Amino acid sequence: MTPPQEPPRLEYESVTVDFGATRALSEISFSVRPGEIVGLLGHNGAGKSTLFNVTSGVIGATSGSFRVDGVNVGGDLSPRQAAELGITIIHQEPALAQNLTVLDNLFLARPAGAGADRKKKARAALEAVGADIPLDMPVDALGLGQRQLVDLARGMLAGEMKVLLLDEPTAALGKAETDALHALIRNFAERGVAVVYVSHRLPDIMEVCTRIVVLRGGELVVDDAAAGFTADRLARALVPELRDAEFIETVPGAEAFRIDTPGGPVTAREGEVVGLFGMAGGEQFALAASLAGVDGAAEYELRGTRVRVASPRQAIKRGVFYVPPDRDTEGLIASETAKDNVMLPWFGATGGRGWWISDQTGAEVYRKARRALDIRGPAGDAEVSQFSGGNRQKHLLARWLYPARPGLLVLAQPTQGVDVGAKLDIVDAARTAARDGATVLVVSSESDEIASMCDRAYCLLGGRIREVGRAGDFNAALLAGLLALAEPVPESA
Amino acid sequence: MNTERLKIFLARNGIFMALIALIAVFSVLRPNFFSLANGQSILLQAAELGLIAIPLAFLIMSGTIDLSVGSVASAAAVAGGMVMSGTGSTTTGILAGIALGALAGALNGFLVSYLGLNSFVVTLGGLSVWGGFALFLSGGKTIPRAELPEAFRAIGTLKVGPVPIQIVLLILVVAAGWYVLNRTQFGKNVKAIGGNERAARLMGVNVKGTRFLLFVTSGGFAAAAGLLLSAKVQSANPNIGSGLELEALTVVLLGGVAFQGGIGRISGVVAGLLFFRVLRAGLVFMQASPFLQTILVGLTLIVAVALDSSIQKVIRSSWAKLGKDATEEAEDDNRSGPAERERAGTS
Repeated sequence: MTPPQEPPRLEYESVTVDFGATRALSEISFSVRPGEIVGLLGHNGAGKSTLFNVTSGVIGATSGSFRVDGVNVGGDLSPRQAAELGITIIHQEPALAQNLTVLDNLFLARPAGAGADRKKKARAALEAVGADIPLDMPVDALGLGQRQLVDLARGMLAGEMKVLLLDEPTAALGKAETDALHALIRNFAERGVAVVYVSHRLPDIMEVCTRIVVLRGGELVVDDAAAGFTADRLARALVPELRDAEFIETVPGAEAFRIDTPGGPVTAREGEVVGLFGMAGGEQFALAASLAGVDGAAEYELRGTRVRVASPRQAIKRGVFYVPPDRDTEGLIASETAKDNVMLPWFGATGGRGWWISDQTGAEVYRKARRALDIRGPAGDAEVSQFSGGNRQKHLLARWLYPARPGLLVLAQPTQGVDVGAKLDIVDAARTAARDGATVLVVSSESDEIASMCDRAYCLLGGRIREVGRAGDFNAALLAGLLALAEPVPESA
Repeated sequence: MNTERLKIFLARNGIFMALIALIAVFSVLRPNFFSLANGQSILLQAAELGLIAIPLAFLIMSGTIDLSVGSVASAAAVAGGMVMSGTGSTTTGILAGIALGALAGALNGFLVSYLGLNSFVVTLGGLSVWGGFALFLSGGKTIPRAELPEAFRAIGTLKVGPVPIQIVLLILVVAAGWYVLNRTQFGKNVKAIGGNERAARLMGVNVKGTRFLLFVTSGGFAAAAGLLLSAKVQSANPNIGSGLELEALTVVLLGGVAFQGGIGRISGVVAGLLFFRVLRAGLVFMQASPFLQTILVGLTLIVAVALDSSIQKVIRSSWAKLGKDATEEAEDDNRSGPAERERAGTS
């Protein structure tokens, strides 16, 4: 079913990038034909972003070059040149001016015509990406999925789109939005665009890509048709020594948590890991945050007693620990050291009761946390911002796992945007906490995240809930559960 | 040490080198500049400013600012002076002055922390309010030497052994500042709030209470500085503290405290303080016009802000490069033993 061999749209030739003494990309050569969708996979730090940055003109290659439609464009162009060549990049978080309107954003740094012509072009571009958005709407009023569509439409206005780079576009999207985006990507490919797709979500890659390229440590290790790949083989290509994904089974104890929601009670037992599954940015996240007293108060039963939690302080005092969904804006303090990021809420409980904190205070707990979570990177006195995404996430998790024992542990998308190896470590750590007696809630909009670590789950949508038990087809059951909630209910109850 | 480490080191410690260079330059230009007597005089001049700059450094590290400190110093000096001239009691006067400063700080803290108003605007308003209050209270007139109690005036020349009381207080405040910032949960909280307010709150840090306390402290110390100044000059002038807020801000930023919060060291602030006072003393030695000195204060502030933003940029980009190196080294390690892992990236 391979189409007649057309000349490649995008062709990398020995692209090498050095940052100081470090080689971020080493002699990368591969090509993408029109209509191909290449899944680019690899760890955090494997070089995917670097390759995208070279292609979109953000950084220059140290040596090597790439061709677009057979024309050698070198290895060091400006972002504007890249756009003019028909190279479009879509980020997980679109780079748009939040306070400007959709129309203004579409024509930022783009050739703009007269007023009426501008609007016509803008409408056509939005229509082409299937977005029905008023042109005068401010971008910050749009959802993430819609912002990505605006970004995509912006790419189309630069001229003929030849190369489309997608950097984790679905990381924060729900199922429906993801499907819509995938349909759109296929549509672009059919029209002859060469697509390169970076994602941590293996199912997404498997679903939409025709070929798979895997980078490891800046080198290309796999370049093969997607058809022969299984999720398992892919995972093994990413992490050669993949550990067993089967998690530690626990025997749940007594009911330790109960909250009444409009759709019915949500409960969890001691030693149990319970998922709260819903749409991207959905109500399950607000529920989770309220349990920890963030942005509002909540009342619920904790180990048999009714509690009212109105602030994070109160939650922490009761042993309710919350790992927020966005590690960098809500979780970590970039300017503080790695150790202090883990120990900050706990210094008052150390030897000097918070009145004599030395470099040694908490060092033992920090060492233990690093071992338990297999944290890699610089030493603990380095700023936490120096660590890679997965290792930063592990620091955030470590804060609520090791210095004190969690009673109710609320994890909001704890494995979001981390590589496969880190994901397994995080799942292990959460399961271990449950085995040691914690009640764990995992809140997510990704069914595989829930399926990979929970004993059972609730689907939440539109004020209704539905319980899903763990079974062989847990992943599918979760999606089915959410879909069932999305259907309109008859006016009876 | 590789180049990125060296860059970070230079960016963080540039003020110390600049201080040494400045002293060297003045010492060469005016050989009698470098003397014990002049050193003590510089420290003596630095004391009140230091008393204001250290608490201000805490506020800026927590992500806010207090521009009212100079006016609060004036108001406290006048109010304290009036109480003293009325009651004849030095203690009552000092307590009244400091209470007024703490009250002014509490007001700032309430408006900023609990009502969520912008600290820049609130304390800029405070600058005018308390400056005006000092003038209104005194009718614009200086409370003369004769009206101030003997005991109060004695403070101005009091010595602990050979060391003037002002210098002793400065050393105590610096030591206390260092201790609180580096060794206590409170200090860690201050930097955490400035680094990422939301994350700090989610960790259970009492963000509002912490900032409120910092404002009260700032007001109290500003008042103490105003009283010390009037004891030194033997009179209570309603303009005695004017301009101190800009000088203190200059000192704090010169000292490497990041204007956006979260980053800073007490040793840096001390170096910034000394740099600033050495510069002014040096200009006096060179017999520069006092008007020129005022211009120079403003210029130094602007340079300090410019340095702050470029220093933070250098540090961040160097850290980023180091972090990338370390991560990739760790990944090259590829699932080795924990001992080797911990070593990775520290080289």
